[in-house]
Formats: sequence, structure tokens, C-alpha cells
Amino acid sequence: MTALDTLNPMSPLAAAIAKLFAAVLVILGLIFALVAVLVVFAIVRYRERPGAQLPRQILGSDRLEIVWTAIPILLLAVIFVFTVKVMHAASPSAASRSPDLLVVGHQWWWEVNYLKSGVVTANELHLPIGQRVLIRLESADVIHDFWVPRLGRKLDAIPGHPGYLWLEADAPGVYLGACAEFCGAEHAWMRFEVVAQPPAQFAAWEQAQLAVPPVPRPAPALAGRKLFVARTCVNCHRFAGTSADRHVGPDLTHLADRRMLAGGAVANTPSTLAQWLKDPNSIKPDSHMPNFQLSDAEVAELAAYLESTK
Amino acid sequence: MLSKSKLAMVLFIVSEANFFALLLMAYAYYHALDPGGANGAGALDVVTTGLYSVCLFSSSATLWAADRRLRRQEYRGGIRWLLATIALGAIFLYGQGREYARLLRSGVTVSRNLFGTTFFTLTGFHGLHVFLGLCALATLAGLALRSGIRERQTQAVEAVGLYWHFVDAVWVVIFGVVYLGSVL
Amino acid sequence: MKGYELGETAVGAAVGGERAVWAPHESLLGWVASVDHKQIGIMYMVAAFAFFGLGGIEALLLRIQLAVPHNNFLSPETFNELFTMHGTTMIFLVAMPLLTGFTVYLVPLMIGARDMAFPRLNAMSFWLQVFGGVMLYFSFFARGAPNAGWFSYAPLSESAYSFGSGQDYWILSLLVMGIGTVAGAINVIATVATLRVRAMTMRRLPLFVWMTFVNSFLMLMALPILNAALVMLLIDRQLHAHFFTPASGGSAILWQHYFWGFGHPEVYIVILPAFGMISEIIPVFARKPIFGYEFVAASTVAIAFLSFAVWAHHMFAVGLSDVFNLFFAVASMSIAVPTGVKVFNWTATLYGGRLRFTTAMMFALAFLVMFTIGGLSGVSFAVVPIDWQLTDTYYLVAHLHYVFFGGTVLASFAGIYYWFPKLTGRMLSESLGKWHFWLSFIGLNLTFFVQHVLGMMGMPRRVFTYPDLPYWGALNMLSTVGAFVLLAAVVVFAWNLGVSLKHGEEAGDNPWDAWTLEWATSSPPPVDNFTRVPPVRGRRPLWDLAHPELADELQGRAA
Ligand code: HEA
Ligand code: HEA
Ligand code: HEC
Ligand code: CUA
Ligand SMILES: [Cu+2]
Repeated sequence: MTALDTLNPMSPLAAAIAKLFAAVLVILGLIFALVAVLVVFAIVRYRERPGAQLPRQILGSDRLEIVWTAIPILLLAVIFVFTVKVMHAASPSAASRSPDLLVVGHQWWWEVNYLKSGVVTANELHLPIGQRVLIRLESADVIHDFWVPRLGRKLDAIPGHPGYLWLEADAPGVYLGACAEFCGAEHAWMRFEVVAQPPAQFAAWEQAQLAVPPVPRPAPALAGRKLFVARTCVNCHRFAGTSADRHVGPDLTHLADRRMLAGGAVANTPSTLAQWLKDPNSIKPDSHMPNFQLSDAEVAELAAYLESTK
Repeated sequence: MLSKSKLAMVLFIVSEANFFALLLMAYAYYHALDPGGANGAGALDVVTTGLYSVCLFSSSATLWAADRRLRRQEYRGGIRWLLATIALGAIFLYGQGREYARLLRSGVTVSRNLFGTTFFTLTGFHGLHVFLGLCALATLAGLALRSGIRERQTQAVEAVGLYWHFVDAVWVVIFGVVYLGSVL
Repeated sequence: MKGYELGETAVGAAVGGERAVWAPHESLLGWVASVDHKQIGIMYMVAAFAFFGLGGIEALLLRIQLAVPHNNFLSPETFNELFTMHGTTMIFLVAMPLLTGFTVYLVPLMIGARDMAFPRLNAMSFWLQVFGGVMLYFSFFARGAPNAGWFSYAPLSESAYSFGSGQDYWILSLLVMGIGTVAGAINVIATVATLRVRAMTMRRLPLFVWMTFVNSFLMLMALPILNAALVMLLIDRQLHAHFFTPASGGSAILWQHYFWGFGHPEVYIVILPAFGMISEIIPVFARKPIFGYEFVAASTVAIAFLSFAVWAHHMFAVGLSDVFNLFFAVASMSIAVPTGVKVFNWTATLYGGRLRFTTAMMFALAFLVMFTIGGLSGVSFAVVPIDWQLTDTYYLVAHLHYVFFGGTVLASFAGIYYWFPKLTGRMLSESLGKWHFWLSFIGLNLTFFVQHVLGMMGMPRRVFTYPDLPYWGALNMLSTVGAFVLLAAVVVFAWNLGVSLKHGEEAGDNPWDAWTLEWATSSPPPVDNFTRVPPVRGRRPLWDLAHPELADELQGRAA
């Protein structure tokens, strides 16, 4: 059953929903079983037999009507009470607190800003386990939806209408997330990962992310750094320690530390990175990153530069 | 029991009312968000439009008069009132055209801002309905002038009459919300 | 002694409708120029079936792409066009016209009228529908089909993000069809209100007529909402207005309110006539009157009202306030009550009956059980926190196909097996029918049941491909196999239609021993529908004639 993410929660927020979901599934399953059994029984019992009389012409029964109106109402009332309860447990009010993270949906990647420490990353979000963080959710273009099935509810990221969402993880692990609102061509590859870590490891990660990478030594990486500016990468990306500070594309400062590339379309390895730089469309057709017709040498240099921050 | 053509007209009007309600809600919603808005409702000329509106409102009365006469088979009087109705409706449209021209000259357009977007859509669709109503009335008047109104056509007059009163009523609401709302 | 004299009508005295001006020709021109409700009804159904083929082929392409992870069969853009066209086609060009076809064919016959109240308007509605459909598909040859999904959320559907003309074709085609639908609804209401044969009181109306009558009010109220929203979107796109463009202050959420204000009533628009057909078919093959007629009829009205108060259950993930969400949760759950009343009354009709398992009846019984699955998963969405998890996943895709395929489509299949003899004078083959039934039943469950599980595993909808997670590939493959079983079912069905039309058994006037008025005339009916309308003394005129000793009126309740 481990694959049933929505019924296999890893946070109190998601657990509340999972429990309710399981209970409701049982209730609905029983109702279904009732209807199915009634119908199947009738099929078996009342099939036409040769020579049978015309059946009695029954027009209805007010008593039965009351029964099958009242019982569903009662059942639904019970379900409703739990609905209210679980709503509060799964999505507590956020009014009392200023957000810890700002997450912005872009076509087709996620920008993640740690508001307290200033860390900026993309498509990968680190969390200290056992702590509830509050996310402010925005969109830079169309509607997206932030969803990590094992950690809790989903919430739309709507341009012009910021939303607030709690996130929490009980145990260390990597939890897969996805954009759940259709947002155009590459909606399928707008995935992300939540890496839950013990607080100490998380703090270390945060420190590492804040480090400004030194100007690289080896020749190809250094050449790559020049290309990075010359080839207008700076117009769209952020790279700490350089002039690049735009958010049209993902922050690339610590790209090498990230587990995947291009919203989950491929794992982040030197060869996939090179392929991406050579022709982003070969990995993610229609992505908003242009193909710069780079030569193999240029690709190698750029890749070396981007890998040098590991 | 309503005749089937009158019933159909009533149902059609219900659907139209729904349509306008949505346009109006969009206007009211954005107006509430940003009442001032550059060149917003303040740009409207309440008095002049108010005067033109009086023409539209009185056209309901003239149409009613026409209807009564036609029903009593006083065709000449009926047609005269019908023509008066058409004239009043046309004057209203002329007034709306002038208001539009003035607004466009001062830079208020559909694409300028939300006020322009919602205002022109709402009033534009109303104007379109007035225009269609005028066409229908003109057709009736033309038929009547050529060959007199017959039994079957009085039903048509009644149905078109319902529609015209509806278009009028819609303007009462729009004028109230958009124009009076801008000065209150 | 109630109403004996009233129902007696003399030869040729069916009321209402204009007399056909010319005898309907079997020539192509005869069909195209027809204002006869029977021909128009059949044309609606044929058009719907053709589009069902297109929508089904689109679905098969989607399923092939999804059969295995990381598939490259379709480009993402094509995939998005295909699911947008699939959803739009199935709802607006299949479900609606198919049910409208049944409605305009059957309603005048069932109430003993000659034609619709406005036969020419009826023809106009149909041709607007065709025109809209052709326009939508023309977009493939213009600059690409629409690709923003069947509900075209703004701002994705705005010119900044959908620059091709596909979106404009989508808007215009839905507008054209929307106008035709409103006209059609007016026509049905006027027909039922003014053209019933004498003594056919509202309490004697066949339930199919009841439900299409209520449904017409639903259309009348809901379609203008869509039309208004479409007009605004079109003005945004063409005149650079700002209704739904957040970049210039417009609201993306307003579009959602407007769309679902229409969209939710819409899903009932495509199920109520199906309920109506089931309410006719089950009693006939159980040889009993419907159980609780008044409750089945009244629950329709309740559903119609409620359906305007639940739209925001499609927006639980938007992040609106708790109170707001709870209101819509209560309303959505309440819809389960009148729907349950129907389900239980249909089931109760079976009890004590003498069930004949014709293909029509088998489809109707399958509907009963399959629709219940879809309805129950709908209720789980009404539980807000569950929706927060499962909205926009394959669990939703499963829900909507259980109500659409398990509901609307199965009921329509039942309806076609039941009324085909009336439409054509020939019976459909029962042995091919059984094949059609079992393939549909198995295919439906294979395709869509596993999608519940995929949704629970976290598979979002509208993804052209997916990572190779445990079980995802296997379940998707099963679903694709199921879709091909459905293809086989549809092929058998088409074969059956073709063969039976030519060589089917002669049907006679009333092959099922049914009791509503359409069976009192020849098959197919003459231009004027009836030479003589039998007396209407209760809800089952032909039953009363055949079994005077068991006539409904004698039981005191069905007067
Ligand atoms: C024919 C079409 C049809 C029908 C009839 C229904 C019926 C219902 N639907 Fe469904 N729905 C759709 C078509 C339909 N739906 C579509 C197309 C979408 C998705 C649109 C999209 O996003 O693309 C959707 C989406 C949808 C959502 C939004 C999900 C989301 O986007 O997150 C919700 C939420 O509440 C919902 C609820 C319901 C409910 C409560 C019913 C109820 O009416 C069901 C009532 C029936 C029963 C419950 C079964 C019988 C009853 C009993 C046996 C009695 C006992 C029962 C109880 C006590 C529970 N539906
Ligand atoms: C009435 C409504 C209806 C019906 C009947 C169907 C029928 C089917 N649907 Fe569809 N579906 C929707 C309404 C419907 N659907 C909607 C509204 C959506 C949402 C769209 C969106 O997200 O915007 C959707 C989305 C949808 C998806 C999700 C896409 C995604 O989110 O990425 C999938 C995937 O499996 C799917 C599959 C199918 C399949 C396999 C069938 C099968 O049942 C089809 C079976 C039919 C055939 C196989 C036809 C066979 C054809 C022939 C025999 C050709 C010859 C005949 C002639 C030419 C006459 N549908
Ligand atoms: C027009 C804007 C633009 C320019 C210029 C641009 N990029 Fe990008 N880049 C993007 C966008 C948008 C993405 C995200 C694509 C996606 O995942 O859908 C991206 C993604 C990337 C990624 C993958 C990041 C990740 O976390 O998945 C890398 C690496 C990258 N760009 C490198 C470069 C380099 C090197 C250059 C210069 C040669 C460059 N980019 C120029 C817009 C741009
Ligand atoms: Cu972003 Cu889907
Ligand atoms: Cu709904």
C-alpha cells in the first residue's frame, strides 16, 4: 500500500485528511454495496419465469420514501461534522503568522524563497522535520497548484490572489510534489521535491545555500562563467556573486546540489545538464528556456561552471 | 394561460436577464474594488445621459399606448404611437453614441482599464439590444403601413412589446447602478 | 370517475404543432430542409454519434500516450489539444445533442402533440449545433485547436498565454451552440406547457417529459451564464479588455465563478434526461409502474434548484474562506439526497416485478449501479479536505467518467435499444446487443476504475506523461487496455445499428408492450404523429387499455 500516497500521510496535516478519506471511503463503499446487493438480488429473484402472472402494480410507499430520505441526511450530517473538524486540522488559519517561505509558480518551474534566511532555490524545497512552516503562494503568470500528496492539502497559486499553506513533515525523506492545475504545455513537468531533514542537517543545508560561490579556478569553468554573462543567461537567471539576478528562470547558484532538472523531467547529472544546455526542447519541449545553438565546447564550459559550485 | 409566442418571449427574456445580470455583476465587482479608477465612473455625464434615458423610459409608455390602440383595432393611432416609440429609441441610441464618442476622445476605452472594460461591455450589449428592438419595431411598423395589422400580428406586437419593456427595464438598472452609482 | 371523457380525442385530433407543410422526404434535401421534430431528433442523434466517434478517437490517442511512462507518442501540445477537444466534444457535441435528440423526438410523441411548439426554431437550434461543431473542429485546420482544457481557466486562456486562434474558435463555437440550446429549451418548455393532449395533466406526464421539462429550465438559466462569460473572454482576447487578466487588475477567480456557475448545472443538464430515460425503461421491463412517481419527479426539481448552489465545489483548492467552502460543501452533499431518492425508487420498482432482461434493461440496470459509483465519488469531493487532496487528479477523471459514461452514455445506450424500433420500425439485434453490453460494462470498469487508484497515488490529471513511479505504468496500461475494449464495444454497436437498420426484425407499433403514447402510433410514426390518440386516464394510457382491470386510476393514486 505504500504507493497510495494520499492514504499514506507523513504529516499531521495530511494524516487528518487521510483518516477522514479512509472513513468516508468505507461509508460510501457500504452504501454502494447496499445498492449493488439490492439490485443484484432483484435481478436474481424477480427475473421473468415462464407462465408467471402479471406482477402487483405497486405505486409507491410514503414510509419508504421517508426512510431513504432521512437516512442519507443523517449520514451526510455526520460526514459534515467531520468535514468541519478536519478542515481546521488540515488547513489551520494562517492569519496569526508571517510566512516563512515565498513560493512562486512559473510556467513551468517553482521559485522558492526562504524569507527569513534569504536562500533562493528552485523546484526543491528543504524542510526541518517536525516544524510547521507557512508558505505564501503566488504565481508569476497563470494558475498553478502546489501539491505534495504525502504532506497535505493542495492549494492553487493564482496570479493576483496570494494564498497561504502550511507544510510539515514528520520524518526525513524526499517527498514528491507536483503542479496540480493545468498550466500549459509543460504542466506535466512542473514537479518538485520536498526534502525533509533533521533540523541540524537543514541548518547546514541553509548555510551551504547562502554561500556565495568563489570565482572558479579551472579553465573550462572560468570560460563558462564568461559565457554565462555573454550569452544573456543573466537576463533570466540568478547566480549569486554575479550580476545575474533575475527570476524569469530558476536560480542557478547551487544548481549542482539539486536532484533533478527542469521540473523533474530528468535527473540532474552532468550529461543531462549538457543536453539541457544544448537543446532544452529535447528534454522539455516548449519550455521557456531558449535554445542558444551552443557549440559542444561552449556547452562543456557552461556545464563545468554550473557544476563547479557543488 | 399565456399564448405560446408570449410564453416563449417571457422565457427568452428570463435568459436575457441572466445574461445581463452577469455583465452587471462584473461591473459592480470591479467598481467595488476600485471605485475611483483613472477616468472611472467619474467620467460619466449623468445629466445628459439622464435626459436621453428619459426618452427611452417614455418609449415604454408610447409603446403601451400603441399596443392598446392596436388591440382596439385603431390602426392609424397605433401606428403613430409605434413610430413615436421608434423615434424615442433612436434618440436614446444617438445619445449613447455621443456619450461613447466623448469618452473615447478623453481616452476611456475598452482596453484602458477595468472601468472601460466593464462599462463598454455592459452598456454596449444594452445598446445592441435597443438596436435589435428598434429593428423589430421597425419591421412591425413597416408591415403595418403596408397592409395593416392582422390578428396574428397583434401577437407579434405584444411579444416585441414585452421585449422592449424588458430592454427598458434593464436600462433602469444599468442607469441606477452605473450612472447614479457614480454620483452617490 | 376521473377524466374518462377528457382523454377521448377524435381521429386526427392530436393537438398543437404546425401541420407539416410537406411530407418528409427521405432524400438528403428532405432531411436538411426538414422541420419535422422526428427527423430533427434523429439528425441530432446521428450528429452526436459521429462526434462520439471523434471524441472517442481523441480519447484513444490520449490513452495510447499514457499507456507507458515517458512516452513520446504525442507532443505535449497535441496532447493538450486532444484532451481539450475530447472534453469539449463529449460534453457539448455528444452528451447534449444526443439527449436533445431524444428530447425533441420523444416529447411531442409522449404528450400526444404533432410537433414542437416552434418547428422552425427547432430546426434552427439543430443547425446552430452543427455549425458550432464544425467551427470547433475547423480550428484544427486554422492555427491549432484550443488547448486550455474544457473549462479554459483564465489567464491561461487569455491572449497572453494562448495566442493561437484555437481559443477563439472554442469561444465562438460554444457561443453559437449556447444560443441554439437556449432556443431549444424555450421550445421544449413551450411545447410541454401548451401542446399536451387533453387530460394529460402534469401529474400524468411521463417522467421522461418531466425531466426534460425541468432540464429545459436548467438550460434556460445556465447557458446565458456561459454565454456572458464567453463574451467577456472574447472581448478580452480580441479587444484587449481586462475582465480576467490579473496583470491589469482583472480577476482569474471571477472566470471560475462564472464558468462553474454554468458548469455545474451543465453536468446535471447532461444527466437529467438520462434519468428520464431510465425512469421509462425500468418500469416497462419490470412490468410495474415506477415506484414513487411523485418523488422521482419532485426530486428532479430539487436537483435543479440545488445545482445552482454548488458551483464553488469546483473551487475548493482556490483558497477561499472556510465558511464559503462549507456552504458549498453542504449544498453539494444535499444533492445526494434527491439523487438517492431516485436511485432507491428505481431499485424499488424492480421489487415484485417480472424482469425481462432485454439489452435495454441490462444497460439500464448497469446504469443504476455504475452511476451510483460516480455519484458516491462525487460526494467524497464534497468533503472539502478530501477534495484538497484529490482535486485535479485521476480520481476526478474517474468520477466524471463514471457519471458521464456510467450515467449518460449507458442510459443513452439503453434508450437507443428501447426506442430504435420506434425510430426505424426495426429491432436492434439482441445478440449483438449483449456483446455490446458486456464489452461496454467490462471496458468501462477496466478503463475508469483503476483511475480512482491512480488518483490516490497522486497522479495529476492533464499530464501528457509521468515519471515511472511504482504501479503507475501498470495501472495506466490497464486503463488503456480498457479503452480499447470500449472501442470494440462501440464498433459492435455501430455494426448492430448498420445491420439492423437494413435487416432487423420488423418491430410493429409496440414491441415492448410499453405504455406511453409514442407506442400508440406506427413505427416509425407518420408525419402528423398520430391518427388517433388513445384516451389518457392515467400515467400509462396503453397499459390501461390492455389491462383495464389493473388500470392505474383504480389504485387511486395515479389520477
Ligand atoms: C453527469 C455529470 C455529473 C454528475 C451527475 C455529478 C454528480 C455529482 N458531483 Fe460531479 N463532476 C462532474 C460531473 C458530474 N457530477 C464533472 C464533469 C466534474 C469535473 C469537471 C472538471 O473538473 O473537469 C465533476 C466534479 C465534481 C466536483 C469537483 C471536484 C474538483 O474539481 O475538485 C465535486 C465536488 O463536490 C462533485 C460533486 C458531485 C456530487 C456531490 C454529485 C452528486 O450529484 C451525486 C449524487 C449521487 C449519489 C450520491 C449516488 C446515489 C445516492 C445514494 C445511493 C443515496 C445515498 C448516498 C449518500 C448518503 C452519500 N463533482
Ligand atoms: C460524456 C463525456 C465523456 C465521455 C463519454 C468520455 C469517454 C472517454 N474518455 Fe473522457 N473526458 C471527458 C468526458 C468524457 N469522456 C471530460 C469532460 C474530460 C476532461 C477534459 C479536460 O480535462 O479538459 C475527459 C478526460 C479524459 C481523460 C483525462 C485526460 C487528462 O486529464 O489528461 C481520459 C484519459 O484516460 C479520458 C478517457 C476517455 C475514454 C477512454 C473514453 C471512452 O469511453 C471513449 C470510448 C469511445 C470510443 C472508443 C469511440 C470509438 C470510435 C469509433 C468506433 C470510431 C468510429 C465511429 C464513428 C466515426 C461514428 N477522458
Ligand atoms: C529567456 C529566458 C532565459 C534565458 C536567456 C536563459 N534561460 Fe535558462 N531557463 C529559463 C527558464 C524559463 C527555465 C525553466 C525551464 C523549465 O523548467 O520549464 C530555465 C532553466 C534553466 C536550467 C535548469 C534549471 C533547473 O533547476 O531545472 C539551466 C541549467 C539553465 N536554464 C541554464 C541557462 C543558461 C546556461 C543560459 C544561458 C546560456 C540560460 N539558462 C539562459 C529561462 C532562460
Ligand atoms: Cu503549473 Cu501545472
Ligand atoms: Cu459540480
